[in-house]
Amino acid sequence: MKLLIKGGRIINPALNMDIAGDILITDGCIAEIGQKIDGAGAEIFDATGYIVAPGLVDMHVHLREPGLEAKEDIYSGTRAAAAGGFTTIACMPNTKPVVDSSIAVSGIIQRAQNEGVVRVRAIGALSKGQEGKELAEIGDMVAAGAVALSDDGHYVSSARLFQAGLLYANMFDKVVISHAEEESLVEDGHMHEGAISAMLGMRSRPAVAEDIAVMRDVMLAEYTGARLHIAHVSSANAVEFIRQAKKRGVKVTAEATPHHLTLTDEAVIGFDTATKVNPPLRSADHVQALIQGLNDGTIDAIATDHAPHAAEEKDMEYIYAPSGFAGLETSVGVILTSLYHTGQCTLPQILEKMTIGPARILGGEAGVLQPGAAADITLIDPDREWVVDETTFYTKGKKTPFSGQKLKGKAVAVFVAGELIMKNGEVLK
Amino acid sequence: MAKDSTGQDILELRSMPVETMESILATAKEMKNIVLRDIKKLPTLRGRSIINLFFEPSTRTRTSFELAGKYLGADVVNITTSASSVVKGESLRDTLLTVEAMGVDVIVMRHSAEGAAHFAAKAVQPIIVNAGDGAHEHPTQGLLDMFTIREKKGTIAGQKIVIIGDITHSRVARSDIWGLKKLGADVHLCGPATLMPRDIGELGVTVHARVEEALEGADVVNVLRIQKERQQKGLFPSAREYARIFGVNDARLKLAKPDVLILHPGPMNRGLEIAFDVAYSEQSVIQEQVTNGVAVRMSILFQALMGGKKIEAVD
Ligand SMILES: [Zn+2]
Repeated sequence: MKLLIKGGRIINPALNMDIAGDILITDGCIAEIGQKIDGAGAEIFDATGYIVAPGLVDMHVHLREPGLEAKEDIYSGTRAAAAGGFTTIACMPNTKPVVDSSIAVSGIIQRAQNEGVVRVRAIGALSKGQEGKELAEIGDMVAAGAVALSDDGHYVSSARLFQAGLLYANMFDKVVISHAEEESLVEDGHMHEGAISAMLGMRSRPAVAEDIAVMRDVMLAEYTGARLHIAHVSSANAVEFIRQAKKRGVKVTAEATPHHLTLTDEAVIGFDTATKVNPPLRSADHVQALIQGLNDGTIDAIATDHAPHAAEEKDMEYIYAPSGFAGLETSVGVILTSLYHTGQCTLPQILEKMTIGPARILGGEAGVLQPGAAADITLIDPDREWVVDETTFYTKGKKTPFSGQKLKGKAVAVFVAGELIMKNGEVLK
Repeated sequence: MAKDSTGQDILELRSMPVETMESILATAKEMKNIVLRDIKKLPTLRGRSIINLFFEPSTRTRTSFELAGKYLGADVVNITTSASSVVKGESLRDTLLTVEAMGVDVIVMRHSAEGAAHFAAKAVQPIIVNAGDGAHEHPTQGLLDMFTIREKKGTIAGQKIVIIGDITHSRVARSDIWGLKKLGADVHLCGPATLMPRDIGELGVTVHARVEEALEGADVVNVLRIQKERQQKGLFPSAREYARIFGVNDARLKLAKPDVLILHPGPMNRGLEIAFDVAYSEQSVIQEQVTNGVAVRMSILFQALMGGKKIEAVD
């Protein structure tokens, strides 16, 4: 079985490749990449006008299964991923119950094999029940396939436990992902602290809560020599601390979300609960600092923090609505519209953060196009204009702050192991 | 969902056009004449129904709205749902839909959540009048403060107006800031740093740490109620200390203009944020604010229901 993806612009950041050319796939793997491949006997997929990229990787997704299937499940979540252009996603363990055991990790992996259309990597909890009190059975979870450890959704307030988690995970060469926010400073806050929160009278979450938490975690990573990843960085100082730490050789990486890279707290005016997210949408100076961090390599990955909630949960007063919204299906469009088409980032830069960047953090194979690798490939039309209509989303939790926005750029086809699973936004499986 | 052609929600002063505020204030003047006469009844809103939907108890504001509606001939019903009996967040839409199904024209709503009035305005067809949403806004209180200041001072433009107290948690302060600034006032804020939003200065007000500095040459002082619960949350150390450092007393008021006006949204903690002799001094218009509150709310209900229309001669 041969397939030739013909005539696209191949952007392969892991190998610094940016060429016009073809990719030949045989038996689910990449056989050849070149400027002109003779695809005799192969089925042809015409990629003229498209970017041909490694399958996109999203290292921060909430699939909500087990226990919270009304918000999302592996079936719907992986289809949302495919629709958005992703071939590999990593799911966070803050489910009900929490994914904090090898059985739970195997369960996710098994379910994903049965129900999923894209590759799913499981992230295990750092502490039992994500309670921040005792270490979870990290070794067992890693043996079962966990690719990282995180109490995402919560900051590990005990520095001692967090240090233990870093040391312990590091024995297995796994990264600890921190949701960095000093909780005593954000207690019951609903938006970024700034002029807009002052205006709306809403209890708020100051950026300094993130700064302090990132600083502590970075210092513990430096002290232990272990690998640390900061999830959804949103504050300017946090970017700076990470930048300085990297310069000192600390093994710290970081991700930013499409919404933190493009929206500000002004979106909260009007109290649309689709704008409620944690960490909150911050002011323009923070957004600029994030883009700067993306450009200079401080931020390694763009991750959606896809966090769907059932419609009725978001349909209430702002302060009672849960934080988070769907991100998988808008990610490419939002990033290309706001960062590429405005000239703030190049396509290779962006694609690096959405492929090899996160893939390296998680370890394992993904994010690179090369002979012998699985043919996980995403085709993107950078100029396709479309309007966000959440009623067409595959995700169950359809709220998005980008609703109704006109975007430019869209994933138009996705291959997983050489199989076409998404075309023109439609998931084929 | 579009409201019917003439009516309009009254949600906040921040986005309210100046012309709307002016029209409410002008009509309130005529309404005050009604409040002060023996027979206080107009047929203007006859056949219209108003529900006071209060998720937080407030006898003062609720009664003020109730009388305002009744003086205008409307049918007024009160629903007070104590916060504890409502499961947080779950039932607001249901409650609103129920009220809507009863065929009301106006829902006057008080709720502890910022933005609750905006939520309601989007959720149902009846006109929403915000009677206070969390720490966001209390537009009718703002308008009555504006009405009172203009009545006594003749104008708002150019006046130095000082708001003292817990700004962070005050919806009154926010409505006052927007309303007064739009009409040209010079707005100053003062209070403990722990009760002052960090970036409030960006709204175009001057923030003072010392009350003496704030009061210097003030034309109007609006003293906010201090909730003693804030002390338990560590936002100020004691009532005694608050009164000593921020309390508005006679000695401090000497720094203000001799004809300074004292406002307070009530109910007062005398001896805490305001000294007894100040509360009952000649300069205090706190009682009159209550009367004006009814007149302004009559005007607001009229504006909400009849939007833009001129009130027919009321005498
Ligand atoms: Zn998180």
